[in-house]
Amino acid sequence: MRKMLALYVPAATLLGYVFLFAPLLVLVIYAFNGGRSTVVWEGFSLAWFAEALVDRGLRAGLQVSVIVAIASAVLATAIGTSAALAVVKRPFAGKNLFSTLVIAPLVLPEIVLAVGLLVATVWTGVPLGYGTLIAGHVLVSIPFSFLIVRAAASGLDPRLDEAAADLGANGRQIFVRVTLPLLLPAILSAFLLCAVISFDNFVVSTFVSGVGSTPLPIQIYAMLKTGLTPKINALGAMLIAVNVLVILVVMGRYLKTIRKPS
Amino acid sequence: MPPDTPEPAGASRVAIELIDIRKAFGASDDQTTYAVDRMNLKIRAGEFFTFLGPSGCGKTTTLRMIAGFEEPTSGRLLLDGKEVTGVPAHQRNVNTVFQSYALFPHLNVGENVGFGLSVKGVAKEEIRQRVKAALESVHMAHAIVRKPSALSGGQQQRVALARALVNRPSVLLLDEPFGALDLKLRREMQMEVKEMQRRLGITFIFVTHDQEEALTMSDRIAVMSNGVIQQVGGPVEIYEQPANRFTAGFIGDMNLVEARVTGRSGDRLALDAAGSRFDLQSDLALQPGDRCTLAIRPEALHFVDGDAGPPIRFSGTLSEAVYIGTDTVYGLALADDSRLQARVRNSRDRSIPQTGEPGVVACAPSAIRILTQ
Repeated sequence: MRKMLALYVPAATLLGYVFLFAPLLVLVIYAFNGGRSTVVWEGFSLAWFAEALVDRGLRAGLQVSVIVAIASAVLATAIGTSAALAVVKRPFAGKNLFSTLVIAPLVLPEIVLAVGLLVATVWTGVPLGYGTLIAGHVLVSIPFSFLIVRAAASGLDPRLDEAAADLGANGRQIFVRVTLPLLLPAILSAFLLCAVISFDNFVVSTFVSGVGSTPLPIQIYAMLKTGLTPKINALGAMLIAVNVLVILVVMGRYLKTIRKPS
Repeated sequence: MPPDTPEPAGASRVAIELIDIRKAFGASDDQTTYAVDRMNLKIRAGEFFTFLGPSGCGKTTTLRMIAGFEEPTSGRLLLDGKEVTGVPAHQRNVNTVFQSYALFPHLNVGENVGFGLSVKGVAKEEIRQRVKAALESVHMAHAIVRKPSALSGGQQQRVALARALVNRPSVLLLDEPFGALDLKLRREMQMEVKEMQRRLGITFIFVTHDQEEALTMSDRIAVMSNGVIQQVGGPVEIYEQPANRFTAGFIGDMNLVEARVTGRSGDRLALDAAGSRFDLQSDLALQPGDRCTLAIRPEALHFVDGDAGPPIRFSGTLSEAVYIGTDTVYGLALADDSRLQARVRNSRDRSIPQTGEPGVVACAPSAIRILTQ
């Protein structure tokens, strides 16, 4: 009985991993398939990677996604960082309410945000396009940049600000020479995470992208409707590779900051 | 209220003056508590001045107001004769050594020390030279390119000192700077900092809860309790002539014995303390029936046998004997249930009773200080 229990835990863990990663593994394996099928193996080939890279629709989608990811990540990181610094360093009334509102997009159903955003654009008459897409992505990524930078900022010794002021630094000098360099790892992590969130975003993008500004996920979804080829697998494999790389960088930095002795 | 400390002859320039300084915290309409209450104080230029008191007495708050990290609720603060109330920290010519050192973790030792000069726009070459000189003066020149995290506590302390002193402040503030160091290192740093202060002639304002540290380093000490200065004076004065019960009890070991005045003739008071009756000379305005407290150091008390020895005697039962190396500290339970401590040099003296036996301790009249507040 005890032996059964001892086996249960690793077995369950293994099953969990299989459930999580088997589809991804199959997807990546069939990216190298020589034939047109995504289920029958017909020999090794890199042809689909080439196909994916020259596909005009995918390339256009990739371009939109990269532009929107960088622009929205820059904005979301700047806004999230400012909000985090305000919450950690300055006393003001309604601080808790303010924090809750900033992270609200995290807990609200994204579909509701997306519909709301669409209604707002129709109301204000703003044309759908890069602008609305970036605004939508900023909205969903602000909570992440806020939480990451707030965690790092609240870990800073407030005496460092005082020490800098004591040595003659004014507010701007303290920010540029002490606060910013110390928060830079967290700000970079926030930026990367926001970029990934934007790059992966589907729901908001579906509602607020316009003609000529279709991001990659929606482009891929459209391709699925016309037929599945290993081209999409190849693209998926490349996206996984990029995402894993980014996550590793973020995690690496995060672990470094939390392991650092105070 | 603290008695006026007489200014020494040829009193030098005043570096810092606090006038009626109050700092409220937890303020509400009906009840305001003060971290620092109505503080009036002059600190002379070049002085090693210490705020001494238990935690929560307001000493660090006072220091933070001088540094400019906190503003007084009311009152005025003068630095070198100029009003600095309301002037932000970065515009005051004072520098602070923090208890936690507060070195910038992203900068190396040299950059840390050069920070103050750099933000003031001092030329690079001058910064380089002054940083080097400052680090040499604290024996840390070898570590100029190392990060603070690679240094020991004592080394970080030295760098923090150099970082403050390189700016040539008119006043250096030190907030329990040795609190995190072990005893041996603390002694070393105390000597070094004291020597540095003598050499530089800068006003040092020091905050500590360690009375021994205060006594060994300071020119003058302000003993604080509950936001109020209890006494200001030199180490000898503070130790030998405590002004009130708080100072007497806080500085060193002290027996505080409650006494009643039973008579007065001229400058002699007749006292009754814990069943002992004796006369003491005093110019205090005490009348028969008044109560007072007698402060007696444990080392001033000796065991006596018979009539030989000092005239003032307390008898009781020996309740404990604690061996502490060169001395033994004896506890004597008196008739009124109060207790006396006597610290006696260890010897082959057989006159000292065993625990549980009756005993008599005595001291000279000059060893007793009468306190009325």
